[in-house]
Amino acid sequence: MNRSSRIVAGPLGAIVLIVVLMSLAMIVAGTSPLDGFRALFVGALGGRNEIGETLVATTALLFPALGICLAFRAGLFNIGAEGQLLIGALCAGALGAVLTVPGPIGITLMLIAGAIGGGAWGAIAGWMKARFGANEIIATLMLNFVAAAFALELVSGPLKGPLAAGAETAWLDPKYWLPALLPGTRLSIALLFALALALLLQWVFARTVFGYDLRASGEAPEAARRSGINLGRLTWLALTLSGAIAGVGGATIVSGELHRFNTQLSPGYGFTAIAVALVGDLQPLWICLAAFGFGILESGGLAMQASAQVPKDAIHVIEGLIILVLAARRYVATRVEGTLP
Amino acid sequence: MNELIVTLFALTLVKATPIIYAALGGVISERSGVINIGLEGMMAAGAFTAVVASFATHSPILGLAAGIGAGALFGYLLAFAATRFKVDQIVAGTGINLICAGGAAYGLVLLFNQPGASVQVASLGSSYWVLVVLAFALAALLQWVLYRTPWGLRIRASGENPSAVVSAGLNPLLLRTYAVILSGALAGLGGAFLSIGELNLYSDGMTAGRGFIALAAVIFGRWHPVGATVACVIFGFFEALQYVLQGQIAWLPANAMQALPYIAALIALAGVTGRVRAPAADGVPF
Amino acid sequence: MEPALTLRGIRKAFPGVVAVDGVDLDLYPGEIHALVGENGAGKSTLSAIAFGELLPDAGTVTARGTVGLVHQHFELIGRLRVWQNVLLGREPHKGWRIDEAAARAQVLAIAQRNGLPIDPNAFVDTLPIGVQQRVELLRELDRDPAVLLLDEPTAALAPAEIESFFATVVQLAARGTAIMIVTHKLQEVIAYATRVTVMRHGKVVERTLTSATSIDAIARAMVGGEVPPVAARARTELTPRLHVKDLCAGRGATQLNDFFLDVRGGEIVGIAGVEGNGQSTLADALAGLIDYTGIIERSGTMGIIPQDRQREALVMNWSLVENTLLGRQHRKAARRGLELDRVRARVDTAAICERLDVRAANFDVAVRTLSGGNQQKLVVGRALIDEPQFVLAYNPTRGVDVGAAALVQSRLMEARNRGAAVLLISFELDEILALADHVIVMYRGAVLGSFDRDAFDRAAIGRLMAGSA
Repeated sequence: MNRSSRIVAGPLGAIVLIVVLMSLAMIVAGTSPLDGFRALFVGALGGRNEIGETLVATTALLFPALGICLAFRAGLFNIGAEGQLLIGALCAGALGAVLTVPGPIGITLMLIAGAIGGGAWGAIAGWMKARFGANEIIATLMLNFVAAAFALELVSGPLKGPLAAGAETAWLDPKYWLPALLPGTRLSIALLFALALALLLQWVFARTVFGYDLRASGEAPEAARRSGINLGRLTWLALTLSGAIAGVGGATIVSGELHRFNTQLSPGYGFTAIAVALVGDLQPLWICLAAFGFGILESGGLAMQASAQVPKDAIHVIEGLIILVLAARRYVATRVEGTLP
Repeated sequence: MNELIVTLFALTLVKATPIIYAALGGVISERSGVINIGLEGMMAAGAFTAVVASFATHSPILGLAAGIGAGALFGYLLAFAATRFKVDQIVAGTGINLICAGGAAYGLVLLFNQPGASVQVASLGSSYWVLVVLAFALAALLQWVLYRTPWGLRIRASGENPSAVVSAGLNPLLLRTYAVILSGALAGLGGAFLSIGELNLYSDGMTAGRGFIALAAVIFGRWHPVGATVACVIFGFFEALQYVLQGQIAWLPANAMQALPYIAALIALAGVTGRVRAPAADGVPF
Repeated sequence: MEPALTLRGIRKAFPGVVAVDGVDLDLYPGEIHALVGENGAGKSTLSAIAFGELLPDAGTVTARGTVGLVHQHFELIGRLRVWQNVLLGREPHKGWRIDEAAARAQVLAIAQRNGLPIDPNAFVDTLPIGVQQRVELLRELDRDPAVLLLDEPTAALAPAEIESFFATVVQLAARGTAIMIVTHKLQEVIAYATRVTVMRHGKVVERTLTSATSIDAIARAMVGGEVPPVAARARTELTPRLHVKDLCAGRGATQLNDFFLDVRGGEIVGIAGVEGNGQSTLADALAGLIDYTGIIERSGTMGIIPQDRQREALVMNWSLVENTLLGRQHRKAARRGLELDRVRARVDTAAICERLDVRAANFDVAVRTLSGGNQQKLVVGRALIDEPQFVLAYNPTRGVDVGAAALVQSRLMEARNRGAAVLLISFELDEILALADHVIVMYRGAVLGSFDRDAFDRAAIGRLMAGSA
């Protein structure tokens, strides 16, 4: 298989697969695929507000997916984006509730707080891996639960907004809200930040020494170590940056979308983002496209559930299947290219 | 006070049980050379299917069997992907986790017409203690099988050097397939214990990372069935402690306490550095 | 007499190459048949087909009895015991349980019958390489094979171990086993084999009794002409480059004990020794990859040819261009600001490919698609491209054919001639004797002897390599 046909076969194959599987899920739920897809697309793209919500979901998925992509490229399987995003959002929300500086500075500080929070959460796993050789898959996942418990404890007590009914912080002053990108919708300029970040990462991977070291460590750790790369340092750096990116994503949800921190703010973005990163073939620009696709599923899925009675959770089954099939496709592709044994 | 200690002890064993089943599944799978990141999902599949079967047949025993079968089915899916398609086992396991968690949530809406949790079904009731005892018995049995029987030797060989197994005239892919199916069945049993043993329903997210805690237990237990079981009892203790203390000491941060078993697992993961070695071909496709 | 193994019209193609092309072979009970050829001549493919590991595209394989194969890279499980390795798949058992006493007795019995002393209870990874090979051999012998294929069986053995190994092989043949040895050590072919088959480009080019041929004749048949010469040794000025004293590093069997060494610019120092005597520890210490005590003083730049090209030297999925940067990516010259200088990398790649005759479709294909020989040449070229003052070459011609080996050796010699200090660690004594100005014999992590070029004594070096003075 040559390069261009592989690129087409990847995302295109994934789309065909999604359509087939979704149809199946709709039939099982007793809805005709035609009605189901109409509900899905009307719900996701049928109007200004719907498009706005789809792009909100796209943004929320894109940040953690880019973070996951960075870690994966370094050979580190970060499945803790959910927790990193949550801690990033918590830090941003907690800071935003007490800030008294001008708007743009406040927003900047909140985003930085998100990066620090998420980065610190990723750094814990990175440090454990680099220092003790602890398995990063288990560590990052465990930290998701710790993050959830930690966040719930704080917003149930010390950080709870004075007027809040549930477990959430106080609302942000509107001057700390990220400016809207599509007026009248909840879409903020966070989308632009995410796209810029994707471009930046694409450049880092393709052109820079750091990107080179990162990819070498992921592809061939022993050769990388012998080429003068400090693997321990790279490990914690990659997981820290990965967490920081997810954390910024969390901060943009707080500042751009919900305008407060709430423990329920992510319906599993950090997990769906794994599928987004893999479907995007770990290429930042393809990941943008994949995030939009999954954004459609996320926002249209709700509409589909409401009007066509197809449970939204079918989407997660499909994500899982796509991950499985893509993993197998990698093997098939290398087999076709094949070399001598 | 004595009463409290007895409660804590009993609760420790109960909380350890589902993790022990999953961890034994993890041991057998990794000993054969396949990392089973999908334990979490297989537990969820077992838990959900057990509830559905119990709901349909009113027999918790059949529910249990169905839970085991569901876990085994997803075990077979991972084995098939790992042996036939040489997939990255971590990626495949992650896929299985999403499929199972999503599938159970989808099924809840479809079958019970309510998101979040199922209706209450016939559970094992007080006889769930049989499963607690069985978990420890299985650990001993698996230890014996791995170290004393031809099949155990071959499984260990597959996880160390599958080419050597080929040289011996055996098929390591088949051995791995059996081991991963068994692994899934055990995880499914662990899940079924959660839903129709301890409780009588399935709710979203009820496995709560136990599959991953089990993986930490496998590492902490140095890939030995008995060692992993000891690790599970430790993690089970912290989970139990959290429940027991919540009722006793008012000023403890109740929500933060929920993190206790996970933090214990994290510390265990970091604490075994350099002193453990995974099977040589663990996670390496063949 | 009926042949024990008959191959007729065997053909096997892989994408882009016909590995075996119409080969016939008869293997008779009691004979020791040597199969020789360059890398890529098809001998490994042919033995895999004979063993039944690989199916031929055309042709038939007929065996009268079982076929056993002893691998070059042992297929053993280090963390299992000897008896577990030998009897895997055929474990004696009582009920569901393995009968361990019977298993140990069974292994001892085969070992004694074949004159191979062994402790059946030992863990394989605690055994020296030579004994590990015995385990590999025992596993095959337990199945009482009619045909035994030996793939490069002496690659990791010391001269003394080689002798005792062949004593066992000759004894087996005398008892009627048909034996085929795949090897590149032509002295062994002449000394121990009865017949020899030479392969080139997948075809049999010569088949004769060893009593009717010579090492030179076999070598010419393998290469298909004369063996290319290595660059001449020039007179050089010697300048100190590397000084190693009281070096201790590593642990276990490969631990270095008060190792010492001096390499000067303008000379090649060869480390002779059997694999597993601390060579890797020495290389890692010199490369700064492991902790050590003692003195390592090195001046000037360093180029390294690692031992395992696929794992330690290359990123197999990357292009030639990206791989030529590996290990050089942190130098100032490789960068332009934060970016890597891609133009320069491409120029360097072209230079490396030209100087080492690396053949690739273009510079952007993955090195995975290159043959092993071309991969190795790329690694060698990369180590030499910046004209380092110290070159650490670890088995630099491993797995490359005779022509390519001569080219690699010539480039190392030229590096020496221009004044570089070259440390050559090799498991091929012939390579060391051909290239080195000075030889150090390494045994169990220590220096056991040293020889200047004008005092090279093959027999004495061989004895020291086995640990006896």
